[in-house]
Amino acid sequence: MASSLRTHTQTNSNTSAMNGTSASASDPKSQLSKKPRLHAPPQPLFITPSDVLFEFSHHLPSIARINNGSFGCCPSSVLSAQQQLQLQWLQQPDHFYFNQLQTRILQSRNIIKDMINADHVDEVSIVDNATTSAAIVLQQIAWGFAEGRFRPGDAAVMLHYAYGAVKKSVEAYVTRAGGYVIEVPLPFPVNSVDEIVQEFREALERGKQNGRRVRLAVIDHVTSMPSVVIPVKELVRICREEGVDRVFVDAAHGIGCVDVDMKQIGADFYTSNLHKWFFCPPSVAFLYCRRSTESSDLHHPVVSHEYGNGLAIESAWIGTRDYSAQLVVPKVLEFINRFEGGIDGIKKRNHEAVVDMGEMLVKAWGTHLGCPPEMCSSMVMVGLPACLGISSDQDTLKLRTYLRDKFGVEVPIYYRAPKDGEVGPVTGYARISYQVYNKVDDYYKFRDAIIQLVHNAFTCASLPT
Amino acid sequence: MEHEDPRNGESTHPCSKKPKIYSKFISEPEIRDEFSHHQPRVARINNGSFGSCPGSVLEAQRQWQLQFLRQPDAFYFNTLRNGITASRKIIKDLINADHVDEVSLVDNVTTAAAIVLQQIGHSFAEGKFQKNDTVLMLYCAFQAVKKSIQAYVTRAGGSVIEVRLPFPVNSEEEIISEFKKSIEKGKSNGRKIRLAIIDHITSMPSVVIPVKELVGICRAEGIEQVFVDAAHAIGSVKIDVKEVGADFYVSNLHKWFFCPPSVAFLYCKKSNVSSDVHHPVVSHEYGNGLPIESAWIGTRDYSSQLVVPAVLEFVNRFEGGIDWIMKRNHDEVVKMGKMLAESWGTNPGSPPKMCAAMMMVGLPSRLCLNSEEDAVRLRSHLRDCYEVEVPIFYQVLKDGEEGVRDKDGFIAGYARISHQVYNTLEDYEKFRDAINRLVEDGKTCKML
Repeated sequence: MASSLRTHTQTNSNTSAMNGTSASASDPKSQLSKKPRLHAPPQPLFITPSDVLFEFSHHLPSIARINNGSFGCCPSSVLSAQQQLQLQWLQQPDHFYFNQLQTRILQSRNIIKDMINADHVDEVSIVDNATTSAAIVLQQIAWGFAEGRFRPGDAAVMLHYAYGAVKKSVEAYVTRAGGYVIEVPLPFPVNSVDEIVQEFREALERGKQNGRRVRLAVIDHVTSMPSVVIPVKELVRICREEGVDRVFVDAAHGIGCVDVDMKQIGADFYTSNLHKWFFCPPSVAFLYCRRSTESSDLHHPVVSHEYGNGLAIESAWIGTRDYSAQLVVPKVLEFINRFEGGIDGIKKRNHEAVVDMGEMLVKAWGTHLGCPPEMCSSMVMVGLPACLGISSDQDTLKLRTYLRDKFGVEVPIYYRAPKDGEVGPVTGYARISYQVYNKVDDYYKFRDAIIQLVHNAFTCASLPT
Repeated sequence: MEHEDPRNGESTHPCSKKPKIYSKFISEPEIRDEFSHHQPRVARINNGSFGSCPGSVLEAQRQWQLQFLRQPDAFYFNTLRNGITASRKIIKDLINADHVDEVSLVDNVTTAAAIVLQQIGHSFAEGKFQKNDTVLMLYCAFQAVKKSIQAYVTRAGGSVIEVRLPFPVNSEEEIISEFKKSIEKGKSNGRKIRLAIIDHITSMPSVVIPVKELVGICRAEGIEQVFVDAAHAIGSVKIDVKEVGADFYVSNLHKWFFCPPSVAFLYCKKSNVSSDVHHPVVSHEYGNGLPIESAWIGTRDYSSQLVVPAVLEFVNRFEGGIDWIMKRNHDEVVKMGKMLAESWGTNPGSPPKMCAAMMMVGLPSRLCLNSEEDAVRLRSHLRDCYEVEVPIFYQVLKDGEEGVRDKDGFIAGYARISHQVYNTLEDYEKFRDAINRLVEDGKTCKML
């Protein structure tokens, strides 16, 4: 709010100077002699580019930060609000604990409930991140096996491109408890939604073999690496048709990136980080749990005295910690509504810009995008020239470090192993992001860095291990 | 190194900032300045609940936070892990652990309890333990720990023994004897005790427990695993994990060791058991050992884990460092406890040698504190009307137990006073006068 107020006062004093009136409000004569402001320039309704620059002025200026997808971003007005809350706690923590904390967390939950079209605020819990949400949902599955509700060999289905932490969580809670895990292979590059739906159906078939029940399907809304928007609504519908017990949508990149409507999507569990694309400080996420008999058996793995009072209440107190990131959601909403169209406007513009930039890059490098524009969100996979010789996951890390250290470009790289019979394929894709603080120059910097590497006949093999 | 590259602009690494020039040791005005963010008129005699953090450490924390926000990827790849390892090494030395691999950093003791108990839960679920194998804990164990036992042990088929320790207590022998009796009872019917959870310093009522002796008894009785919940210990009592001899030992650093909220260490003695403990929030580091798992549980603010070096700097500005601070806090809280008890005609809850930096002081029986609700009412009233922040404990008497008397009746309420470096005599005088005022005015808890 502070910067838009500043703009407002500046404009007023400019106006009165132009009209030759005194700006002093205390002088009664000048009050009477003030000429009406007939030709005042319009007040900016929305945040201006220089405001945005200011809000993200703490970002390292020398870096082309085209990786909002990994760690997100947070405007300085929200960081200030967070610091105020942290200070309030430090000033008198007992008072804050007894009189403020729960009310404020509830306020954040109510805002989220409205944004995601959930039926009831009881369905909305706030946790640290999607990694925590996964542990919550998967721990319940583990109890299902341990307590004999599920039979050994009952299955969980997840995408091959599921996030690394989620895969490990499935190992820790499902495999360890006796569950059988099926991974859905997805093509990449991908050309249409149908390709994904087809693979998913086939995986469910495999899941149901030998009389197995599929107890849980874990579906990404937007996969991480490689990044593609998955047709979750359709996949959830297929899960219902095929008798999958429960569906968990991992939408780490959900809110602020794609449309997030709980009733439309119809999943049992849906989680999204708020610090990636929703401008919250690190870190905070919501976990939506559709009301049912099972949802009363979800628990936060860090057990406090609130155990048994419902997941939302359990998650609101997991011992003494800094909860301030969970409390700034109202301030974040204020920030978002300074943009034309609010969060929907931001999403739309980010998507259009990242597709533009992606197409600019593939044209410059002679490569291709990893998926059609309608399967992108605010991120897109851009093929890197094959001559760079990206031939392993290790190469992608080395190249990423090289781009950071030598060119000031921050962008994650994905290794796509060549298939049999492919000749000179693109094996490396950069995942570019676009967020409100990005500029065209960020992507030119990346374009030129790669062009220079190609020109110098650079290969990943030349990089030290 | 990232921060040396001129293209990255000025170096933002916290250690590269010019060091503040301090006079030899910290002075009284400097201490006041460090805690000037505390609400000024409140008599804050409850350091035990939420701890405290000096301004210079908060500033160091802000630098770490800013560094992440400026370039999170570089921070994640180049800085975070080393910063956490540096903190773990300092803790390892402070607690006399053998190896830094035995030291993990987690959010708080509540998290550590979940880690240890989840492993117990797995043993029941996977048939290593039999139904009705037992976990032993203190009756006054922290409520979060009790619930964690319910969530992970009872649910998995284990049973629980609660050891009821006497309070008020007069000597360590009383505790040791009660503990031995409970183990006997626990082992009757041929039950096996798989885990004992022992507080180093109980929360409510607060008493320093002779953990070394109790751990020894556990070993002698064949109890497989011992977990010491030492939430209040570090910065409050000397810690030597090898001396104590437990399998797991956990303490919060934000209570008495000046860290910001929140951070705790979990010490796991190297053994077969300790290789199967996992952080319940599973990341890609799963299976790489608890310290590595705990150092990355998804994107979050890890800055409170990174300021341990800054805390050590702060603590060493006091002549005698943390040892002096611990002694001073103890001496002062005992003095203040005596002053209050004398003024009110009541008693302390335990002898000085069974206190660290906290003490239980009996409240006048005329306040008629007869329930949990009365205790909550009194605490809120003291906060709202007298600007005194102090937790109140209601002593439920066992059947047949008589309790301690003052000249007017039975004492059932105790205040837990804390002393930390920012406290002054005025804080306790304010509390003394508030209680005397309430008694003079004939107020009972139910009227508040």
